[in-house]
Amino acid sequence: MDFSLNEAQREWQDRARKFAEEEIRPVSLARDRVLDPAETWDWDLFKKGSRLGFRTLAVPKEYGGPGADFVSQALVMAELSRGDSAVSKAFSQNWKWSHLIASVCTPEQKARFLSAFLADDTFVLGKGITEPNAGSDNRLPPEDDPRAGLKLKAERHGDEWILNGEKCFIANGNIGKLFFLDARSNPNVNVKEGVTMFLIPRDTPGFRSGKVFNKSGWRFYQNAELIFENARVPHANVIEQTGGASRLDKGERTGGDLFGDLELAANALGVCMSACESSLKLARSRTQGGKPLLEQQMVQLKIGRMNMLTEALRSYVLRVAWEHDQKLPSTNAGFVMNFSTEVVQEVTQLNMELHGAAGYTMDAHAAKLVRDGIIWTHLAGDAVQRMKVVRRMAKAAK
Amino acid sequence: MYDLHLTAEQHEIRDTVREFVANEIKPVATRPARMEALERRPPADILLKASQIGLRTLSLSETLGGAGADAITACIVAEELAAGDPNVAAVLVETSALSHVLFDQLLTPAQRERFLPQFVADDAAQLALAAHEPDSDTELGVNYHRAVPVGPAIHCAATRTPTGDWIVNGVKSFVPNAPLARLIAVHVATDPKAPGVSTLLVERDTPGMTIRELDQNAGWYHGLRGDITFADCRVPAENLVGAEGRSPLAAGLEAGGRGVPLVQAMNVGLGRAAYEAALDYAKIRVQGGRRIIEHQAIGTLLAEMALRLEVARTMVWKAAWVADNPGAVASRSIDDLPLQTIARVYTAEAMHRVALDAAEVFGAMGVMRDMPLHKYVQDALIFLHSGMSPGDGKLRIAEALAEFRRS
Repeated sequence: MDFSLNEAQREWQDRARKFAEEEIRPVSLARDRVLDPAETWDWDLFKKGSRLGFRTLAVPKEYGGPGADFVSQALVMAELSRGDSAVSKAFSQNWKWSHLIASVCTPEQKARFLSAFLADDTFVLGKGITEPNAGSDNRLPPEDDPRAGLKLKAERHGDEWILNGEKCFIANGNIGKLFFLDARSNPNVNVKEGVTMFLIPRDTPGFRSGKVFNKSGWRFYQNAELIFENARVPHANVIEQTGGASRLDKGERTGGDLFGDLELAANALGVCMSACESSLKLARSRTQGGKPLLEQQMVQLKIGRMNMLTEALRSYVLRVAWEHDQKLPSTNAGFVMNFSTEVVQEVTQLNMELHGAAGYTMDAHAAKLVRDGIIWTHLAGDAVQRMKVVRRMAKAAK
Repeated sequence: MYDLHLTAEQHEIRDTVREFVANEIKPVATRPARMEALERRPPADILLKASQIGLRTLSLSETLGGAGADAITACIVAEELAAGDPNVAAVLVETSALSHVLFDQLLTPAQRERFLPQFVADDAAQLALAAHEPDSDTELGVNYHRAVPVGPAIHCAATRTPTGDWIVNGVKSFVPNAPLARLIAVHVATDPKAPGVSTLLVERDTPGMTIRELDQNAGWYHGLRGDITFADCRVPAENLVGAEGRSPLAAGLEAGGRGVPLVQAMNVGLGRAAYEAALDYAKIRVQGGRRIIEHQAIGTLLAEMALRLEVARTMVWKAAWVADNPGAVASRSIDDLPLQTIARVYTAEAMHRVALDAAEVFGAMGVMRDMPLHKYVQDALIFLHSGMSPGDGKLRIAEALAEFRRS
């Protein structure tokens, strides 16, 4: 057993911590307060982070990226999130998909997209899966019902595909330059067999983004609708083969789905770190009857629980990142994602209790952390996300 | 011994309020700006209409022109109103409760004669109790189970003139209903050396009193609140409530943990609104080949919401019944516990859980600002973390369990 970080990992951690403290934290509350959900993004901040390597962190060295390992990725996500959870997500959303270009795109597709992605500080990636009537049905498809799941229609006409339909809640939807899109190429078989993944550049004819969703928290990073009206996509933009989408992002070879699970847990860790710091600072500086709040038993018990949960999450996150780096088969990524939901919500809630005890005002940062934490429910900790992990585990244990 | 039948009158009142909420409050409360909580001010026309059907004076006795509702009836109405909009509910519930305490219980016949007719006649007239001052803190935490008085120090000073009138100077903050009140009961210190609190009735438009409406989005409460500044504000001698230095309202409306659990009832109403939205949605949303309520995971989640609501409402009704029947404690029918405080802690925590669970049923739509669930979750957080915190509530309950009494 060795819990120490190597030099490269420590370097990434320090770089992210410094960026979070100097650049993210000073603007975090102001971005959170922007009322128009389409105006929360800050390109200056994003470009600065991109120049430090946070946008392209997961692109392997042989393709010209920094090639950071999963432990480094987890450390960076947590440190950025400690500054602002949604800013961290804005960067890591790119890592989630850049590996697809590197690992499964053809040399011709790589030539078109990978070098452009690496060179351009404003090149942001997205992935379109969810539709208004297909959320849980994509995550946990009913085995024998071809009607369930995503419906965005893809029809082949010679060398072109014609796409029609709509995606919703798509991360980076209104600013992304390239999307990985799941579309139904065969409506007669279930969603696992009948879906093809396409590369959709922003300038695809017949494609546009729609409204930006007005989220409770996670304001900086934006989710939007993607709308396809007779959009024309060359067959050359199909990733691997027709009907092969479901085999591409499960992570057996690249860590795709596994990354997504680790991502949410590592991001939650940063939120918890921020809440722990904030509550300790408050308990030391605010007094009651002339004595610091920290002297009160109830306050100590709350702060103890916050830190205990946060440290447990940190250990679990780093173990999963290490398992990914060792390419060990495990369902821990799913479990740490589920676990991070309870932890981020309880820790931010306790932080709010400590800040709110004074009456009719609420600390804006404490309230923001709670709003940011609520989104974990449906992304990481609803019943579907929990059952999916158990099914994966049971299958592996056969 | 145990009878949960509503009287014919209670049935009628509940149906009337439910209809009022459905027709008048819900259409306004579900407007996007209100969902997003950019706009929380209780609409004046709704408050007027509510007054016309008797909700502003619900708890005032019938002989004085009110509806004479008992504690349980007042709680039923508070739940119904808050299921529509906790901000509207908070204004009406505060006025109704104060109208009963002031006019039925504390004011002298002479005082009643001066203030009651215009209060009853004016549908826009609300009442307020100005207790809270800037930076005041109960300091209960640090003084738990210590023989020192808790309760915020009053700095707002009233000095007596040779004619017996009072000159008031000082500041009150976060006063519920202050911007709408015709009459405000103000806690003052008449003698800076003595700890006692006195209460003076101050009419709106009294020279020397300035009320500033607070921007709701900067605050963490329901209803409408204001800061009040007194600068050499002259108040007639005969406006003193009770005796000097021994205000019967000193501990507010939650004194001793045996008052009417009105905030708790509103909190239940909020939880019910979230639960009903989730239940309706779970019956129509289809995923996994069936309505999601037919999946165990969602079915049991709804079951947990329903059981928390049932337990919370049962607790609120019990506390309300004891408020109306204090003899039940003396006769040892009911344990000697601060039931109002117990209801406060339980409902705040349980309804927060209900709102979060309801949001889970809605998936991603549960976190969108233009959808109701975001608002329900925010409202549940405000109930949880405003006024008496669950932490202070537990300390008060613990002191009662230890049979600790402050002199």
